[in-house]
Amino acid sequence: MMPAAGDAPGGPAAERRDGWWQRKRTRELALVACFLLPSLVVFFLYRVLPLGWNLLLSVQYWSPLKPARWAGLDHYEEMLLYDDVFWQSLTNTLIFIGAAPFAIALALGIALLVNSDLKGAAVYRSIVFLSYPLMTVAVGIIWRWMYDERGGIINFALRESGLVAKPIPFLQSFEWALPSVIVAEVWQVLGFYMIIILTGLQSIPQHLYEAASIDGAPRWAQFWRITLPMLKPSLFLCAVVGILNSFTSFDLVYIMTNGGPGHATELLITYIYKSGFGQTKFDYAAALTVAQFILLLALTYLANRAAGGNAGSLERR
Amino acid sequence: MISRRTLLKSGAGAVAATLAAPAIAQAPKKISFLTWNIIDQEPMIRGWIARFVKDRPGVEVEWLDKKGPEIPVFYQTQLVAGTPPDIINTQGALGLEYAAQGALLDLTPRLKADAAVGSRFNADYLSNWAYEGNNYLLPFYITKTLLFYNKPMFQKAGLSGPPQSFDALIDAAQKMTSGDASGFLTLNFDWLYWPLYATNGIDLLSKDLTKPTFNTPKAIEVTDRLAKATEAGAINKISWTGRWVEPNGAFAAGNVGMLHAHSPAYFFVKGQGKWVTPETLGVAHAPGGFATPNSHGLGISKASKNPDLAWDFLKFVTNEGAQELGVNRKLVTGNIAVDTKNLADLEKSDPLVYSILKTQLEHTDKMVGNWRLGNDSKVKEAFWPELQNVLLGRKDAKTALADAERKVARELKRG
Repeated sequence: MMPAAGDAPGGPAAERRDGWWQRKRTRELALVACFLLPSLVVFFLYRVLPLGWNLLLSVQYWSPLKPARWAGLDHYEEMLLYDDVFWQSLTNTLIFIGAAPFAIALALGIALLVNSDLKGAAVYRSIVFLSYPLMTVAVGIIWRWMYDERGGIINFALRESGLVAKPIPFLQSFEWALPSVIVAEVWQVLGFYMIIILTGLQSIPQHLYEAASIDGAPRWAQFWRITLPMLKPSLFLCAVVGILNSFTSFDLVYIMTNGGPGHATELLITYIYKSGFGQTKFDYAAALTVAQFILLLALTYLANRAAGGNAGSLERR
Repeated sequence: MISRRTLLKSGAGAVAATLAAPAIAQAPKKISFLTWNIIDQEPMIRGWIARFVKDRPGVEVEWLDKKGPEIPVFYQTQLVAGTPPDIINTQGALGLEYAAQGALLDLTPRLKADAAVGSRFNADYLSNWAYEGNNYLLPFYITKTLLFYNKPMFQKAGLSGPPQSFDALIDAAQKMTSGDASGFLTLNFDWLYWPLYATNGIDLLSKDLTKPTFNTPKAIEVTDRLAKATEAGAINKISWTGRWVEPNGAFAAGNVGMLHAHSPAYFFVKGQGKWVTPETLGVAHAPGGFATPNSHGLGISKASKNPDLAWDFLKFVTNEGAQELGVNRKLVTGNIAVDTKNLADLEKSDPLVYSILKTQLEHTDKMVGNWRLGNDSKVKEAFWPELQNVLLGRKDAKTALADAERKVARELKRG
């Protein structure tokens, strides 16, 4: 059979193909695709695929050696209507997140102090930052010892100073356990917040303060009108890190209290782990993970809105 | 004439056959052995493996050891991957959960075929791992709860000996409480506190394990008394909050009258408590002789490619290996002959350890808190937080037990 005229070497079809490939935009797109492909593959394998698999798992009855059965929304029903621990761990996670603004405010105060002409500011800066590079497991163990009822330095100080008659069971009481873990969490991340805010402070042009001073603006007005608005990107970054830390504080809680007493310090992330690996309820843990994912999406959306709606976007020239 | 393609094909085939032949002939039979936090016994375990493979040419045994919290995570990920270790060491009811999931090989036919193996072991301990009438694990080393007591504190409080009833236990605890001193501590994980309920005639579930039976006036009364004693300081709060290190450490400090714990707690307490000597540390059964087992067992993964070899290794470890393990670790193994010999030696060399280990082999018909459930951890999770709510003063006993009953019933229904 004779080839069609358009298929002949050097015919019009080949010319069209050559033309298609020779277009600059096509070649640029291909190049971009080549560069993006490895990242996209990794993103697909380690993000999209597990997410999809997790979603599927959450609507099935599944355990490692049994065939999966369709469960519909059973796990979600159990979670929302019958599982007190889910609600408690969700509340605790939100409290953890709620502590982030206080930590940021504290870090802002410290950053303002070490950014001033304070003698030894560099030393203080290093001391405050020192906690951040520490391993979270080590931080958990240190704080657990400090809170210890019998030999902990905090109880020792409180009793020696006459503030309390009996030691406080910081990590063993329903009332104290969560605040105690939050204090440890804040202590660790404070240095990081401080450095971020300090960088922001040092990037504020001095002439703005000079102009404000000439205009007779008092210090507090300078803080509210210049410092805070100019620090908005740094504070936003701190808030995002704070939210993410709250969702991933697994190691600290696991080491300090393992979610106890009862479930007083249970976070969604520790509850997911316990459901999956402690009770072999991988299907239910998947449903909990979906709930956490939705919460994370909602918070990210709110944070983005709070930052003006374009956080993470590239500035177009 | 032979074409170039044919020649190349023939050559490649010959090379592949040459390379593969010895590999197939020499392919070793390999089994893996996963133990639970006994890395300190490496020379002993390597010795077992060397002795086991000596008479079995072409056999390899790979040994893996993981810390307690890592075992479930590791094993389950290996199950999902289809490569679980051939032999697994589990503690408490975990083995039953794996059996219920279908992860473990039913050892019943092998025990029937090899009756001498089953008869080596204390029958009560062996039956702890019977799920739906079938046996899935052999005892590796066994433990159950007992009562340790601080003799000087007992003398100071005018107490003549360990309490024989629940009332006497609470009274004794109250008498020893003053200032920083408290009267009683118990370990709480894996139902280890359950003898306190069993001695009052309370059971968690019906005989057929389908219904909760604990929400009774007696259980409410007992729980209330435990809560009040905790509030008064007679029962140390760590009983309901700590896991292992904290309660044992508190008892080792020397200002707690009694510790209700399983036998390995002794070694921790001795390591930390300078006051611990045969003259100062008393050993007794908990009131009524009830105890909760928390033993270690060895099972074979159903996915094992060499189940017969794994069974041989299991028999070897729980017999030839048991003697050495019992001596090295000062423990009882559940192997009757081995334990009899080791205890006879210990009676002379270490009377205190002997008296502790002796309790592990007594009243074995009174083991409680060992319901043969395939979802033990889920039932525990439904019950324990509610009980904790009462014991730490967050709820009243009646409400908490009613809530616990509802949750346990739901969990049993879900299976």
